[in-house]
Amino acid sequence: MIQVANVSKVYRRGKNEVRALDDVTLTVPRGQFLSVMGSSGSGKSTLLNLLGALDVPTSGTLKIDGREISRFPDDELSRFRRDRLGFIFQFFNLLPTLTAIENVILPELLAGKSRDELEPKARALLEQFGLTGRDTHRPDELSGGQMQRVAIARALLSEPALLLADEPTGNLDSKTGGEVLRLIREATRARNLTVVMVTHDAHAAEVGDRIVRLADGRVVGDDPVRVAA
Amino acid sequence: MWSLLRLVSLRHVFGAPLRSLLTLIGVAVGVATLVGIAAINRSVMDAFRSTIDTVAGKADLTVAAETSGFPEELLETVRAVPGVLHASGGLSVVAPVKDSPGESMYVMGVDLLDDGFFRTYEGVDTDVGKLADDLEFLNSTDRILVSERYAKEKGLKTGGTIELITPEGAKPFIIHGLLKETGPLKAFGGSVAVMFFGSLQEAFARGRTLTRIDVAIDPRVGLEAMKDRLQKVVGSSIEVDSPDRRGAAVQTMVRSFQLGLNLGSGVALLVGVFLVYNTVSISVVQRRREIGTLRALGATRRRIRALFALEAGVFGLVGSLLGLPLGILVGKAAIGSVSNSISEIYVKVNTHSVQLGVPEMVMGLTLGVLGSVFAALRPSWIASAVQPVEALRKDAAIGAGAVEVKSWPTYLGVFLLAIVWPTTQIPPPLENLPLGGYAAIFFILMGVTLLSPLVLRTLNVPFARPGELLFGISGRLAADNFARAPVRTAVPVSALSIGVAMAVTLSSFIGSFQASTDRWIEQAVPADLFVTSSAKLAGTQNQSMQASLQKEIEAVPNVDLVDPVRLMAHDVLGLRIYVISLSSDIYRSRGNPLILEGSLPDAAQRASGQVVISENFARRRDLKVGSTFPIKTPTGEHTYTVGAVIIDYTSDQGSVIVDRELFVKQFNSDLVDTFHVYVKDLGALDQTRAAITSKLSGRFNAYVLSNAELRQEARKLVGGAFAITYAMEIVAVALALLGIINTLLAAVLDRTREIGLLRAVGADRRQIIKLFAGEAFFIGLTGSLFGVVTGGVVGYIVTKIVGVQATGWNFPFSYPWGTAVQMVVIATCAAIIAGLYPARRAASLDVVEALAYE
Repeated sequence: MIQVANVSKVYRRGKNEVRALDDVTLTVPRGQFLSVMGSSGSGKSTLLNLLGALDVPTSGTLKIDGREISRFPDDELSRFRRDRLGFIFQFFNLLPTLTAIENVILPELLAGKSRDELEPKARALLEQFGLTGRDTHRPDELSGGQMQRVAIARALLSEPALLLADEPTGNLDSKTGGEVLRLIREATRARNLTVVMVTHDAHAAEVGDRIVRLADGRVVGDDPVRVAA
Repeated sequence: MWSLLRLVSLRHVFGAPLRSLLTLIGVAVGVATLVGIAAINRSVMDAFRSTIDTVAGKADLTVAAETSGFPEELLETVRAVPGVLHASGGLSVVAPVKDSPGESMYVMGVDLLDDGFFRTYEGVDTDVGKLADDLEFLNSTDRILVSERYAKEKGLKTGGTIELITPEGAKPFIIHGLLKETGPLKAFGGSVAVMFFGSLQEAFARGRTLTRIDVAIDPRVGLEAMKDRLQKVVGSSIEVDSPDRRGAAVQTMVRSFQLGLNLGSGVALLVGVFLVYNTVSISVVQRRREIGTLRALGATRRRIRALFALEAGVFGLVGSLLGLPLGILVGKAAIGSVSNSISEIYVKVNTHSVQLGVPEMVMGLTLGVLGSVFAALRPSWIASAVQPVEALRKDAAIGAGAVEVKSWPTYLGVFLLAIVWPTTQIPPPLENLPLGGYAAIFFILMGVTLLSPLVLRTLNVPFARPGELLFGISGRLAADNFARAPVRTAVPVSALSIGVAMAVTLSSFIGSFQASTDRWIEQAVPADLFVTSSAKLAGTQNQSMQASLQKEIEAVPNVDLVDPVRLMAHDVLGLRIYVISLSSDIYRSRGNPLILEGSLPDAAQRASGQVVISENFARRRDLKVGSTFPIKTPTGEHTYTVGAVIIDYTSDQGSVIVDRELFVKQFNSDLVDTFHVYVKDLGALDQTRAAITSKLSGRFNAYVLSNAELRQEARKLVGGAFAITYAMEIVAVALALLGIINTLLAAVLDRTREIGLLRAVGADRRQIIKLFAGEAFFIGLTGSLFGVVTGGVVGYIVTKIVGVQATGWNFPFSYPWGTAVQMVVIATCAAIIAGLYPARRAASLDVVEALAYE
């Protein structure tokens, strides 16, 4: 599913050169839930941005579904993100003027699909996520956990191949965070979805199948998660 | 305070250079327009006054009947009055130059020997002292002296000739000598000629009349006493006054025209100041956390307020300083058009130079700075309400700015709209100064501005569907964004609506006026051809013609009737109106005057002094059918009775229509300004016209206009008078577009995270461009729609209140649908174009950075 080979990413900040990723090689098979851990500045967000086709590597190759995405032109990247990827962010990033259901269908609307065709599907997803009756609420009328569930529904609606989550529980209390993680786990397993989740919370990381640890842009650990006894 | 300004504010100014620049341009262009127009108005009035002064010379008192003249024997009578040390008589005419349409010469007829007492004439190649004995100069009717400068400009030499149009046709005048450009020869840009007064009377068919006697008095008697003595001797039909009092009638006449220009330029500054309001509001929203930090660090509320007011003041100052030199350019660009309009409508002024004086500079700087500080009052008040704790909030209310229905802007807005009508009812404090109406217009614009956020926040609902249809999901989001920060969006919307409203207002006034003059000419002035000697319209720039031409025109084949019409500017009841003389029988049988009151007098009534007056004269002087009023004529003061009040658009000051027979007798003049020609066969109109033209062309710069062409000229005159004002409103619309760029640039910053998100979930660059172009579209559409509605209301007030007070004419209001549609389309398209730059900026944001943006 994902093949990262000798990828480096170098940023220039004024006169300084920051090596955010340094020769990272990584393969993620289809259906795997990969947690990426590391302290701040370790390069985990950079890795996620590269996987999300939001950024291109300085060197190395990055294939998703066997396609080399770092060579795509901008429009194709947009289309790729829309069709193949789902995003979950720490701050939910829902549009404040749209209702819950409109937020869910937004990527598909951007793809030019019709509202009538999307809404029943989105409503079913929201119901499945325990948001029955909330579909016409705006973000400021929802709790943090509810907002994140709307965001998950948004990420899943287009049936992507890869779900990318950036600290999805970073802005939630531990109980709500636990519920959200469980939801992601169940929803993706049922769909055989590949997940890459970035977190610095060890507890959260253990919800995945495998944990990769980054430090100073390099992979310093790669272990399967032991099934809790 | 200053260090805070330097440390905090200036960094933001330089941090958003484009936005700061747009704001400065806004203020600068606003100030430039205001200052340029003020400078033009002053230059025109200065030129006019200095003309009066230089022509008047050193006289203590002037005995004058400028328009109608008086018998020259009066000079001896005046000389005989005890206390008169010296008196010199003269007359002057404005003579068009042959074959140079629009060009004319001010010809003074004086007795050089006498006149040297009051005015300085210095010869270049002639000894002025000897001219009094120069029989060639005194005895011929075609000898003139011109200024050295004029001769040089026209390539003329002593002994050369210049052809001027006289009532008897064009005549060559021989240049007898050149004079230095001193004294009266400085007036009218040097287009002045001097003749012996007897020769001028002869050459211009003025009989033995003078228009002016300058008097030097014995200072021991005193000015007032001498004035009384002279007035007794010359009778009540002739004015005796000090020269500096003269020209007052003209100044009153031009007042409303100039005030209109000033207000037009005020609108440009108003819109410019809106940009400051815009920028400071944006700044307050974006710097909430910084303000919280400053508050946490001990800055008082007052200090925060002062900081933002000061910031605005600096914008105002720098913008105004840039605006001043720009003002000179505005002045230079517009002076020609303004002085032409004033010359065509009111009085000959000749000024093509404009200087920025201290008064304009002080006014520009003051209004620029105070306006900017005033614009910052509200945003700085909002800033000062920021709590220190907001320093700690990460997402400190970006882009927000909720609209409270029950807040002071709402109350003030409703209050302003409520007092609009009572304000319009305030009577003008000075003649031709409709202050109440103008104040009411300002209240409407401000009221609409204050209330617009309330309306805007509800518009996402009606705009959502059309937005989606036009731009897809981006359009739907654009509609949301448009209504989401209504306080901020309201600024460019209001700025645009003010510009559009004023354009629609002007267009409605001009259109209504043109429609009415059209109807008037068609019905009340129905002749088939109009013959003038030297200008397309009879009036200030046309030379009168001798009456005998009537016979010649009547002899042209196909001519049925010829009505010799005189249009004489004359001071009646303190107004410089037109006394129109025409053949009442033709007027009754052929025309269909639009009578408001009374009926056209019959022959017996006319003989007894019954006249017809125009609606505006009646309104200005409160005259009704049966009222009597005096007119000073060369044969003494006569009393006239109002027989009918009619619609007549000859002059915005008023007009009196007197039967020709009576006029010739009482005004001692049978000159004609326009021959109204009725033909037998309309099919042969062109041949008749050609025949008349060829008959007159050698002698005059003759114009023979058809009825349709006359209407066209009248339309042009009206349109030309408002051309500069209209241009200024277009400038205001353009400034408002800068406001759109400004607002959307800020929106790009505020919504960076959202843009990042949209891009992350698959929006491509085009969709982001559509998102912002869509918002610009909604701003343009709403602003222009508000504008065309407000413009209708303001146009109604201008037509029905301001116009009535300034001109005395009450013509039907018609809404300019064409202009309205045009403005909506143009302003909306221009708004989208203005939105493209911010949109491209948004589309080119780096997705990763945008997502990480706080």
